[in-house]
Amino acid sequence: MGLEEKLPSGFALTTVEKLVGYMRKNSLWPATFGLACCAIEMMAVTTGRYDLARFGMEVFRGSPRQADLMIVAGRVSNKMAPVLRQVYDQMSEPKWVIAMGACASSGGMFNNYAIVQGVDHVVPVDIYLPGCPPRPEMLMDAIIKLHEEIKNAKLGINRAKIIKEVEAAALAAKPTIELKGLLA
Amino acid sequence: MTAVQPQTDLITLTIDGFEVTVPKGTLVIRAAEQLGIQIPRFCDHPLLSPVGACRQCLVDIEINGRAFPKPQASCTIPVENGMVVKTQLTSEVAHKAQEGVMEFLLVNHPLDCPVCDKGGECPLQNQAMTSGRGESRFEGKKRTFEKPINISSQVLLDRERCILCARCTRFSKEIAGDPFIDMGERGALQQVAIYEKDPFDSYFSGNTVQICPVGALTGSAYRFRSRPFDLVSTPSVCEHCASGCSLRTDVRRNKTLRRLAGNDPEVNEEWNCDKGRWAFQYTMVKDRIATPLIRENGVLREASWPEAIAVAANGLQGKKAGVLVGGRATVEDSYAYAKFARATLGTNDIDFRSRPHSDEERDFLAAHVVGSKVRYSDIDTADHVVLVGFEPEEESPIVFLRIRKQVRKRALSVTAISPWQTRGFKKLQAKYIGVAPGAEGNALAQLSLTNQSVIVVGERLCESAGGLSAVAELARKSGAKIAWVPRRAGERGALEAGAIGNLLPGGRPISDAAARVDVAAAWSIESDSIPTSAGSDSKAIFAAAARGEIKALVIGGVDPFDMHAPDFAGLESAFVLSLELRPSAITERADVVLPVAAVTEKSGSFMSWEGRTRSFEQAVPETPHQSDLYILSLIAEALGKPLGFSTVRGAAKEFGTLANWDGARASFTSHPVANAAQGVTLASWRQLLDNGSLQVNEPNLAGTARKAVARINAQLAAKLGVANGDLVTISTDHGALSLNVELSDLVDDVVWLPRNAVASQSLRMLGVLNGAQVNIRKGL
Amino acid sequence: MSELEPKRAIDGAAEESIHIPIAGPASLFTQLKGFWVTFAAQFKKVTTVQYPEVKEPTAPRFHGRHQLNRHPDGLEKCIGCELCAWACPADAIYVEGADNSDEQRYSPGERYGKVYQINYLRCIFCGLCIEACPTRALTMTNEYELADDSRKKLIFEKEDLLAPLRSGMLQPPHPYYPGTDDQDYYHGRVTEAHPSQEQK
Repeated sequence: MGLEEKLPSGFALTTVEKLVGYMRKNSLWPATFGLACCAIEMMAVTTGRYDLARFGMEVFRGSPRQADLMIVAGRVSNKMAPVLRQVYDQMSEPKWVIAMGACASSGGMFNNYAIVQGVDHVVPVDIYLPGCPPRPEMLMDAIIKLHEEIKNAKLGINRAKIIKEVEAAALAAKPTIELKGLLA
Repeated sequence: MTAVQPQTDLITLTIDGFEVTVPKGTLVIRAAEQLGIQIPRFCDHPLLSPVGACRQCLVDIEINGRAFPKPQASCTIPVENGMVVKTQLTSEVAHKAQEGVMEFLLVNHPLDCPVCDKGGECPLQNQAMTSGRGESRFEGKKRTFEKPINISSQVLLDRERCILCARCTRFSKEIAGDPFIDMGERGALQQVAIYEKDPFDSYFSGNTVQICPVGALTGSAYRFRSRPFDLVSTPSVCEHCASGCSLRTDVRRNKTLRRLAGNDPEVNEEWNCDKGRWAFQYTMVKDRIATPLIRENGVLREASWPEAIAVAANGLQGKKAGVLVGGRATVEDSYAYAKFARATLGTNDIDFRSRPHSDEERDFLAAHVVGSKVRYSDIDTADHVVLVGFEPEEESPIVFLRIRKQVRKRALSVTAISPWQTRGFKKLQAKYIGVAPGAEGNALAQLSLTNQSVIVVGERLCESAGGLSAVAELARKSGAKIAWVPRRAGERGALEAGAIGNLLPGGRPISDAAARVDVAAAWSIESDSIPTSAGSDSKAIFAAAARGEIKALVIGGVDPFDMHAPDFAGLESAFVLSLELRPSAITERADVVLPVAAVTEKSGSFMSWEGRTRSFEQAVPETPHQSDLYILSLIAEALGKPLGFSTVRGAAKEFGTLANWDGARASFTSHPVANAAQGVTLASWRQLLDNGSLQVNEPNLAGTARKAVARINAQLAAKLGVANGDLVTISTDHGALSLNVELSDLVDDVVWLPRNAVASQSLRMLGVLNGAQVNIRKGL
Repeated sequence: MSELEPKRAIDGAAEESIHIPIAGPASLFTQLKGFWVTFAAQFKKVTTVQYPEVKEPTAPRFHGRHQLNRHPDGLEKCIGCELCAWACPADAIYVEGADNSDEQRYSPGERYGKVYQINYLRCIFCGLCIEACPTRALTMTNEYELADDSRKKLIFEKEDLLAPLRSGMLQPPHPYYPGTDDQDYYHGRVTEAHPSQEQK
């Protein structure tokens, strides 16, 4: 909508947050982004046995403009990364990303020059889903966890505050090469 | 070996149907290696004498049609003409014999590979897979021992795992000459044992861990730390002394976990000393300086790199400066310091000798050491080796092993000129010439050598006035080679790189106009911008700073307490820029402290005492630290007089063009031998394992350091009325220290003290050098 | 050969493609047949599993989250040997071993796993680690609900992976069951904890 971002903080906002969260959570449309084996499990989620329609999500949109959830299912090659980013950019706000499976989450067993080591190098990821590939229940579990996240999402000034806190924590964090384990 | 082997009798034999021709005396197992036929083995080691203990290398042999009745151990049998050898590849008998031996070895070997440190790189594990049976027929109870036991603070012995190959005991006896371990008991209970009272305190004990073909000997420091597959190995070079050992550094996730001796037949063969193997924690200590520090209102505060560089450049701008390099810099870093001093700061006041030094030494280095190419192989072919101002086992252990090898092999005659006949000298069967400290020159004058002889000179001979002059004179007279062995890895490289007041890079004398033009052209600067007179040495630089003549100091990795009676006044008044790893007496007083990369965190090269370039690559892949030369290039840039390189490769390339000088060397004028001091004089040097700053955080290693004692001979003991173990106090105007006495084979009226032991830092506490008069009394 | 010939061939193909026969409207019966399939499906048994309310059990050998098992008296079975890490094709396991002592005993024998981490974002649940484990310390459960919102949370530490203490077990570190040694543990001769093993 965009309008909710302009709301002033205060008691009105919390109620609006709840309402908006409830609505958003129940109106997710995924964009198809099946890249490899995980895509087969992603398709299976829409079949009768798992029936993603129960969450109102059975319509995998071909156009990113009509989608607000990207399920990155499969290994992202370096060549695919800009495409993925473009599709993500074309999706309308608000939008979410699930990194489905080990490869999308971290590169998985493909720790090599060809594969992006985690799709979070390209787009912000909301839920990471392990598995190789994850079974359909695991994807549904990830979606339910994402729903929870969306339901409790903050808006407007509260959201800005959280972003600021996260940013500050990230700046203060030690770089990984300075982290000392037991071996130090 | 580089030297061409003299043509000996050749012998032709057949192994597995292939003919091979090898020199007489070659063992069958080596001849097979030449054909690429691998015979399994445990006890066999090319540098140890054959023993035939493990029996794993059994092969079928027949000579001129007559076969041995049983398979023979190929590691003990030399080749013969007309020999036909059938290994496990072609002989069913040999194959079965090897399988049988393997089965026997495994009867008592525990199956604890999952918890064994050797697991994954274990010759027994590997050869059990390649030449053992799949199944064991042994159903009894395995022999067990208490495990593991500490045979020294750094070596653990697990007797269950031992297969009695005797590699460790042979190494200790033959190579190191420290027979502290040997086989004890008999039959199934035979085991490696130590003498009840003597732990395995050898300086070379780490090599036994490395050559153990099973996990029977393991290092305490590396116990359960990682697995071979975790480790990324990088060939590297030891930074502890000037021997120039090649090493293998094993790193797990940016942490150095262990170092092993590399295989370099020309230098360290396959050995190294325990310091080189086990002292590496200093790069990972908690108090390592992580960010640049700037002094503000008397306190150091963290700063960003651009800010610190700007402050440093500002502090150096337009001031008369001195540069102290320290003996641990790589060749490239030393070269950067040398160029930084000349081209950027416009001074010759640079010195790498952060230790006792003399003008005589500086002239000696310029005339007789820089550019010289005496090698380890010269020891191999020498007819006589003279050790003066040098205790090889303590000060350069690989030189010790090399001399000892020749002593064992061909009874090389060794002469040691020293105030104390140490155990190291005894192990070299050296002819001991006892002299009072300071009088080495007189003893040298008595010697007669040939042009095949080698005079091995330690850096501390500079403390005896006239000593180095006597060496030069002896070499001139006889044509003997001079091997100057400094203690630190960077000293020879720094000398060649010109990090000294009287030399430009490549050993060009500063007084030589052609040399200055040469260097200035390479640096693209005006040739008259290089000062023509020799600069001050370290001591004089500190003194000049104290007097206010030098207003800025650039100090890289120098511990002022390595010099006697250091003068801190200059550090207080001058602007001090310190490039350091860890807080030190310099950083406490510095105005800007910049953290630098340790040896494992950068590439570069050291120059061994031979003048051999020993390059190494960065072992730790990810590090926030930068090398000295990169930091100096940033400061030079900020000062408007860039160095012209900012990478190790760039510096090495530029130094390569300057490294050789075919012009005249500096001349050397003899100094007279000083008169000996009256009364009791001091003799002291550093021991291998001591309080050195590169040995911090190594409790296991420190456990095998030799005890700090004051050594006197029976004559002096009688005079003082002390017995072995009594406390004596040695004092000077500077200070005093008390130690227990150990009666040793010293010359009269000399007391020997360790220079930098944990309990006794004689240099720091007494503030005097070898040959100085000290007071000694019984009790506290 | 003139250069025009290939072009003519293409033109010819374009002309032919114009004459594709287009099917006319289907007959009424055919259409009804289609509706009948949909209609009849209403009376079929619904196959949908109402996840997450209803969770069908997985196959018994399903590869789910790992578990670090314990001996019956609570000592850990893991000896920190890193063979699982060695076997892992995705390099998802990180182990650091350490020394057991009689005062601080976590597992039978000399060595225990001091640090044990599995990165579930790398893990491909292939089970090679389970095959490699020499003490059956590492096994897999059927638990699969692992999704989370940060990379960090998906690196499971030893505490997350260790099996819960069942009745009769004591929290390590604690000494051996009285009168036993590591061999007795490996041969399954220790079946419960003894009160004297408890450490204050």
